[in-house]
Amino acid sequence: MQNTVQNPINEEEILVGEGVGFERIRRITGYLVGTLDRFNNAKRAEEHDRVKHSVDTQLEQI
Amino acid sequence: MISQITKRDGRQVPFTVDKIANAIFKAAQALGGNDYQTAYQLALQVEDYLENTLGNTTPTVEQVQDVVERILVENGHARTAKEYILYRAERTRVREMNTRLMKVYEDLTYQDAKQNDVKRENANIDGDTAMGVMLKYGSEGAKQFYQMFVLNPKHAKAHSNGDIHIHDLDFLTLTTTCCQIDIEKLFAGGFSTGHGFLREPNDIQSYTALGCIAIQSNQNDQHGGQSIPNFDYGMAHGVAKTYKKLYRQNLVKACQLVCGLENAPEKIREMMDAIAQETGLVPVLAGDNGYAQEEARRLEILIDREQIARVQEFAASSAVAETDRSTFQAMEALVHNLNTMHSRAGAQVPFSSINYGTDTSPEGRMVIKNILLANEAGLGNGETPIFPIHIFKVKEGVNYNPGDPNYDLFQLACRVSAKRLFPNFSFIDAPFNLAFYRPGDPNTEVAYMGCRTRVMANVYDPQRQVTGGRGNLSFTSINLPRLAIKANHNIDFFFEELDRELALVVEQLLERFEIQSRKKVRNYPFLMGQGVWLDSDKLGPDDTVGEVLKHGTLTVGFIGLAECLTALIGKHHGQSPEAQNLGLDIVGFMRKRMDEEAAKTGLNFSLIATPAEGLSGRFVKMDQKKFGILPGITDRDYYTNSFHIPVYYPISAFDKIRLEAPYHALTNGGHITYVELDGDPLKNLDAFESVIRYMKEAGIGYGSINHPVDRDPVCGYTGIIDEVCPRCGRREGEGVSIAHLKRIGAYKNYNADTIGYHGDPAEEAQRTPNSLS
Repeated sequence: MQNTVQNPINEEEILVGEGVGFERIRRITGYLVGTLDRFNNAKRAEEHDRVKHSVDTQLEQI
Repeated sequence: MISQITKRDGRQVPFTVDKIANAIFKAAQALGGNDYQTAYQLALQVEDYLENTLGNTTPTVEQVQDVVERILVENGHARTAKEYILYRAERTRVREMNTRLMKVYEDLTYQDAKQNDVKRENANIDGDTAMGVMLKYGSEGAKQFYQMFVLNPKHAKAHSNGDIHIHDLDFLTLTTTCCQIDIEKLFAGGFSTGHGFLREPNDIQSYTALGCIAIQSNQNDQHGGQSIPNFDYGMAHGVAKTYKKLYRQNLVKACQLVCGLENAPEKIREMMDAIAQETGLVPVLAGDNGYAQEEARRLEILIDREQIARVQEFAASSAVAETDRSTFQAMEALVHNLNTMHSRAGAQVPFSSINYGTDTSPEGRMVIKNILLANEAGLGNGETPIFPIHIFKVKEGVNYNPGDPNYDLFQLACRVSAKRLFPNFSFIDAPFNLAFYRPGDPNTEVAYMGCRTRVMANVYDPQRQVTGGRGNLSFTSINLPRLAIKANHNIDFFFEELDRELALVVEQLLERFEIQSRKKVRNYPFLMGQGVWLDSDKLGPDDTVGEVLKHGTLTVGFIGLAECLTALIGKHHGQSPEAQNLGLDIVGFMRKRMDEEAAKTGLNFSLIATPAEGLSGRFVKMDQKKFGILPGITDRDYYTNSFHIPVYYPISAFDKIRLEAPYHALTNGGHITYVELDGDPLKNLDAFESVIRYMKEAGIGYGSINHPVDRDPVCGYTGIIDEVCPRCGRREGEGVSIAHLKRIGAYKNYNADTIGYHGDPAEEAQRTPNSLS
């Protein structure tokens, strides 16, 4: 096993996570999916189109 | 002179008259003929005809067959000609199946999931794994076989041209959709998974372990979801058993240490057994059943009277703390197991759901608190658990208002959902759910399948309008936008066509039910063999399941109410009250038809707001080809889910809830309403709770709040990530230095071979799940 990472000089240079994406958990038809990659084309388009629903304006009413 | 013939795949092979003669002879044989000589004479005529008409060009197989038909008819062999045409059509059908199916198989084999939509039809199957592809081969092959040889051609046509969608067609002849597993009933006395008997569990850890096994086993018998309707009530027994055991252990410890009691384990066990036998009392979490007094009386013989109160206090408080801890670990294990153990050809974890929230016993409350905390803590590296789907049952007087015994747990449920998207919330007080509710009988509390399926009413057996042991049998959805486009703004015509379509679907569901009914108990070793399904415990292994299946639902679904309304009157129900009224008329019409059908057949016909994952793009793609791009109707890649307001339409959370709620009352086979919240809802839990409360007040049956939950696997940050990770500062795909990860406390492992996330300081700091507050 290499011990080079023990060297503080190298630790500034050694990068981790290259090519690693972010996980984006979304709900689909009631259950969750850990990554958008597994969505079918239609569901991907639908997720992309989703807009947020405001709550601020009417909070006082309840 | 013809020497060659061109086959369908383009290859040229030598032409022989014998082959034509053989084909004619076979057609004649089918009708009882046996004169090969005549067949050969006719074949020679075919050859002559070809030479005269085609000259030197090489004939194709199709051309040759056309000429054969013609010659047969001209020579007065009409019946043989007819047989030959049938033979030819049959061959064509088989060939088409081969090529169409083989093309699908080819794509499954050589394309990865990124290119192949079929592989991503269901987001919870990894279409790139061996078992995932194997599942797809089976599924695609079965679908084609059923469409050609099993389905009524009328239904097959309506399905393949996109008027209707028969869900889970690949399981047409095999099984039913889903089931609510009554875990209390299943565990009483133990059960068998088919490979050995499992005794009734004796502590909370085995309760959750067996709960997972029950879900997994039942998943192998059905294609849809598996749910536990009474998770808190069921698991509470395990908590009680664990408490009893831990109380005894701690009492032994205290008597040994404080009082020097010899042979303490034996003596204490004897004393407790005697108390149980003579009085029926055992130590309970609440400590309020008189056990302590009885025990104190008997302890006088064993230890110093002065010490009794202290010893009992120690045993009780230690046992409470340890039971709580053990319960948390059991819940943590359940969440981990349900996210990792595969069933369904090994390609997919079970579609699991658990319903809870209303058990107000101390044991039940301990279950609810710890399952919520386990979900909040997340998986090993702090990932958000995907399964089980948690459904928190909201009920006035139980957990809805301050002062209700489980109000604290409702608030905890909001906090966990604000972080992890689960639990979803179901509302027992919605009038259509409240109608079945009988206080004190958890089996009458509505329970949902996570995806949204709801089974409650029972026309087959009105004495048993309960959740446990029932589920959906099959469902088929109607393409509402197409009906509307074809109606060309004529609303009366639309309703007539809708009525016709409903009749077709009812007929198809009944035919599928016939197939399902002929299956035997032995086809479902767990679902039926272990008595999970209602009344299946009354059947033997070779009995057919038709009668008991009648407890389940036959369900019609729909997609794209919004596009349907736009096609009919130019606006959807988010845009105009007129459209909302028409929408309610349409869905109400469908529901009425289901009620009539249920009354007529004694079967539980119901209406569902279809979940539509694979379906969301299928109909619209076909309708785009048929009708072109129609603004607001076919101009996106998906039809809007069931009765939802379109996801792209700007509307406040409260308006969306208010407009969708009346459809919940109509869709008795299942429904869900979502609200999309912006930002981090953990920072505004009051707003989160107020949205849930508004759902309840509006008459929603089942609802949930969506918000972005992102995670950076490199530093372990969970929350909202736009372009740049707020913790480690990297962009998607970028590297970050080990030194930097160390500085922010997110890198603890010095082995460069296992780079990536090695601990999440913020999340770990939050993991204090064992407090008793």
